[in-house]
Amino acid sequence: MAREECKALLDALNKATACYHHLVLTVGGSADSQNLREELQKTRQKAQELAVATRTQLTAALRDRGLGAEERAEFERLWVAFSGCLDLLEADMRRALALGTAFPLHAPRRPLVRTGVAGDSAGVAARALSVRSLRHEAEGNFDVDDLRQLEREILQVSEMIQEMEMKVNVPRWTVQARQTAGAELLSSASVRVSSVGAVSVQERTGPCDPNKALAATVFSAVLLAAVALAVCVAKLS
Amino acid sequence: MAGGRRGAQLPHLSKMERVVLSMQDPDQGVRTRSQRLFITVIPHTAAGGDVVAWLIRKYCISDEEALHLGTLLVQHGYLYPLREPRSLQLWPDDTPYRFQTPYFWTSTVWPAAELDYAIYLTKKNIRKQGTLVGHEKEHYDQLHRKISHTWDLVVMQAREQLRAAKQRRKGDRLVIACQEQTYWLVNRPPPGVPSVLEQGPKRSSCAADRVQMSTEFYKQEMERCRKALTRARVKSSVCLEAYLKFSGQRGPHDPMMSGCLPSNPWVSNEDAYWTINAPSVAVPTKLRVERWAFSFQELLEDPVGRAHFMDFLGTEFSAENLSFWEACEELRHGGQAQVRATVDAIYQQFLAPGAARWVNIDSRTMERTLEGLRQPHRYVLDEAQLHIYMLMKKDSYPRFLKSAAYRDLLAEAVVPPEAKRRVFPFMRKPLHASPSPALLPASPSGEPVAATSGPECGDRGT
Repeated sequence: MAREECKALLDALNKATACYHHLVLTVGGSADSQNLREELQKTRQKAQELAVATRTQLTAALRDRGLGAEERAEFERLWVAFSGCLDLLEADMRRALALGTAFPLHAPRRPLVRTGVAGDSAGVAARALSVRSLRHEAEGNFDVDDLRQLEREILQVSEMIQEMEMKVNVPRWTVQARQTAGAELLSSASVRVSSVGAVSVQERTGPCDPNKALAATVFSAVLLAAVALAVCVAKLS
Repeated sequence: MAGGRRGAQLPHLSKMERVVLSMQDPDQGVRTRSQRLFITVIPHTAAGGDVVAWLIRKYCISDEEALHLGTLLVQHGYLYPLREPRSLQLWPDDTPYRFQTPYFWTSTVWPAAELDYAIYLTKKNIRKQGTLVGHEKEHYDQLHRKISHTWDLVVMQAREQLRAAKQRRKGDRLVIACQEQTYWLVNRPPPGVPSVLEQGPKRSSCAADRVQMSTEFYKQEMERCRKALTRARVKSSVCLEAYLKFSGQRGPHDPMMSGCLPSNPWVSNEDAYWTINAPSVAVPTKLRVERWAFSFQELLEDPVGRAHFMDFLGTEFSAENLSFWEACEELRHGGQAQVRATVDAIYQQFLAPGAARWVNIDSRTMERTLEGLRQPHRYVLDEAQLHIYMLMKKDSYPRFLKSAAYRDLLAEAVVPPEAKRRVFPFMRKPLHASPSPALLPASPSGEPVAATSGPECGDRGT
């Protein structure tokens, strides 16, 4: 049904926007690299595709005069979430442009900020694109060309937002969101993040299974060796 | 960040950004070490003492100043402490700090938006499983009321951002969480902590940053620039010469620079200075009489000077000029209801042919004035007044300054002696009755410099 499709597209767009936000956070820091810029490009292009698809579906649905009141309310809810998501994406894209210009990758006299983030972010991008892994195939001056591309895409997204405002007239304040305060807590277990209280860096790193397993193995090995030696000694004497 | 009005970056924030960027230089920057947390190793930790030492070396400043500058950097969120994230202060020992990522740098160009704050609080709520406390809980409820229509988006984004973060390794996750926490500590400070982004009441020139970059705006700019090209300008060398001359001339007359005799009323609690220099006094002071020689305006503004000038003009049989000028001033500054009557009186007394005190105005000005008198208003006699003013200034005023009357005035003028302050018997230096910062030598003892610097070492109790 149209509503389920719209919801699925919106979820995918939401996921892509969140991943893009997460990637833009590290631009200019120590994890900034060619790969990161490539991942940014792929993520935002995917997000734009999803946005266009969602928009067509939603506009079609909202312009349909024959919708019931409840269905219309539902679509309006989706519309408000969609336009908010698109605003977030546009803001992050603008930010990425500003940061990317301020921190070019190959300028010798402009070092990146040493933020302590060192790992790679291929997993995040892969999640956004819903693929299992990501291949990096960028050449030398990727970031410079990418910035130009990014500018064009920002313009496209702004135009899309403006067009949306013109075509569909949904006053935001009349929409009643379905989620209430605290709704994020009543969710499936997959949301519970294992790094609970990860803010204080002095916390214990959770149940460190590798450590404990290693300790247990070593201890049992030593115990076995001691028992074997005792048996040998007993046998000899 | 989403939404929000974009302004220009505050200059002190740009400067701090430049400082932080120069700290990143691999050879000349701040030394960094790695932080070890059981099995995770996170690089790029800077000790507070290293940061202070680097600032001292790079900018050649004192200890105190470097500490203050470093504290500013931490308070604005460019560095954050790792052990006690909520106390944003710089300790000059080996407390570890880390640099903030550029996305989260404090900025007025990208102001922090309510939607982002809502997403952050929701993420925190999820992580803490519903135990948000204190001001964050209040903000959370407030935000839910304010933007309840987009709450679906808030919840969706919060969940997805947490899931996206899970794709990174543990060290990075910790660092990014710390960064975000610091960002919100700076932009939404807890109660009791002053906000670093508070700017005072805006001056009226703030209209400039609300402008839309549209064609209208550019057309106006072009018009403005075109008009500016045709404006008459004075060279700064000419201006500065005039300024120097003015300062040199007025220096001895300024009570701050040269002291005021007999004594400074604010210091000695005697108002002799004011009574001697009252607007209408029988014998003016010497400084006052000297001032009349500076410009015609000075002379006319001083009631005593004007009176003496009137007497002088009387001896030259041109007193009607000054009377006419005074009458015109009355017209300009008088009440609206009296305008017509005053104009008539002036006409009868000064301008009509065969008047008792006829003033000598050139024919063209007279014609124009008579034209204007048909519809009298406050400024109808302005041209005539200006003509007479220039006449007096060019003609009578120099003669007055060279006249015997003025010389007598200068000779008779009084120079009040400096009042003696009551001196205690055991004082070595007599106190000045009119202390002037320009006259007194700089005292060696001076004011005791407040030696309380930041926490040098030792007590750090937070």
